[in-house]
Amino acid sequence: MDRYVFFGGKGGVGKTTVSSAYAYKCAAAGLETLLVSTDPAHSVGDLFEQSFDDDPRAVEGVEHLSAMEIDPDEEVSRHLQDVKRKLSDQVSAAMVNAVDRQIEMAHGTPGAYEAALFDRFVDVMRDGDAYDRIVFDTSPTGGTLRLLSLPEYLEGWIDRLLAKRRKSIDLFEKAAIGGREPRRVLEGDPVLAHLRARKEFFEDAGRMLREDAAFFLVFNPDSLSIRETERAIDRLDEQGLSVRGLVANRFTPAPDPDEEGRGATYLRSRVETERERLETARGELSPPILATIETYVEEVRTDRLASVADELEIDVDRTRRPTS
Amino acid sequence: MTLAERIASYRATLEEWLRGLYHGMISHPAYEKIEAEAEDLEDEFMLACFPDAFGVPSPVSYYTAELLPYLQDEFEAWERRLWDRSTLVERKGQQYHF
Repeated sequence: MDRYVFFGGKGGVGKTTVSSAYAYKCAAAGLETLLVSTDPAHSVGDLFEQSFDDDPRAVEGVEHLSAMEIDPDEEVSRHLQDVKRKLSDQVSAAMVNAVDRQIEMAHGTPGAYEAALFDRFVDVMRDGDAYDRIVFDTSPTGGTLRLLSLPEYLEGWIDRLLAKRRKSIDLFEKAAIGGREPRRVLEGDPVLAHLRARKEFFEDAGRMLREDAAFFLVFNPDSLSIRETERAIDRLDEQGLSVRGLVANRFTPAPDPDEEGRGATYLRSRVETERERLETARGELSPPILATIETYVEEVRTDRLASVADELEIDVDRTRRPTS
Repeated sequence: MTLAERIASYRATLEEWLRGLYHGMISHPAYEKIEAEAEDLEDEFMLACFPDAFGVPSPVSYYTAELLPYLQDEFEAWERRLWDRSTLVERKGQQYHF
């Protein structure tokens, strides 16, 4: 079942429009839908001409649809505060400094951004009981793909950490011969407990992504975009996640046959190349192309969304989530 | 003091000496060795968690930072140990009592 639907693709191909249109379609079919944007530029708010924040909020004027915008920066600093608060709960002030520096450093690494986003994704999926469908408008390709490959990678890594920690504690216990107090004990070790909780979190995430998620990629009819999409399909495949379908966006509208002149000639040749590229994409990319959407002169807003949604031939599985 | 008492006190002293000797020669170096091994493993664990403390960037330090509140004593000790540790041979050699 596709409870979680991800839209990915290169920057600027129109992921927000397509994912919003899909969410709109779901909502129109009567499914309680949540649209989640992770793009720091936040165009979902612009599209619906409303402001959203970190908490899901009902979209005005569209029934059954809620939206939220995740700000990774905010997530990172919240995580930083969390860890620091725990630190000051545990420790005397004199000890804090060296460790504090390490914590700051960890939150400045390039991976922090992705990890924070990933955490939030999984939280939204885990707490999404109120929704029949959750649609993710993801940030551009590279980041998203790495995000989705995190669970598998991290699970293995945590396994190794757990094993190391267990072994060293075991040795500390063995070293305590003759009734000495061992330096560390296995029972109730907070580090082991924490690692185990994390592992469970990643397992959950991996399971949800493999079993309940569908992935769609959006591309434009230009060769760069098509190549990028091809790579994205391969990489998702490597993670055991298959791309359900492709959406080709931003097609040039053809001029009327009786129109002549430079503009019309230009448009005609553009339409021709785009048609060729679409054929190439159909031939070379294995997931089916589910929709081809023409460029809109104006920005797509709520009133236009319905017509974009109509062009999307992604089947909205109308069955609601079985209420357990 | 009767002969029996003298023998008993002699045996007690001997036993204490033997226990001390056993402790000094066998058990103490043994658990020191095990403890050093455990420490080494712990160092490995810490290095796996916080390689960026030594300038190696880690994509997962965001997650391992969550462990620091529980590891602060170990973290400081570990950092000191690693900065001070000149060679592996020196570290491994420490456990032998000549």
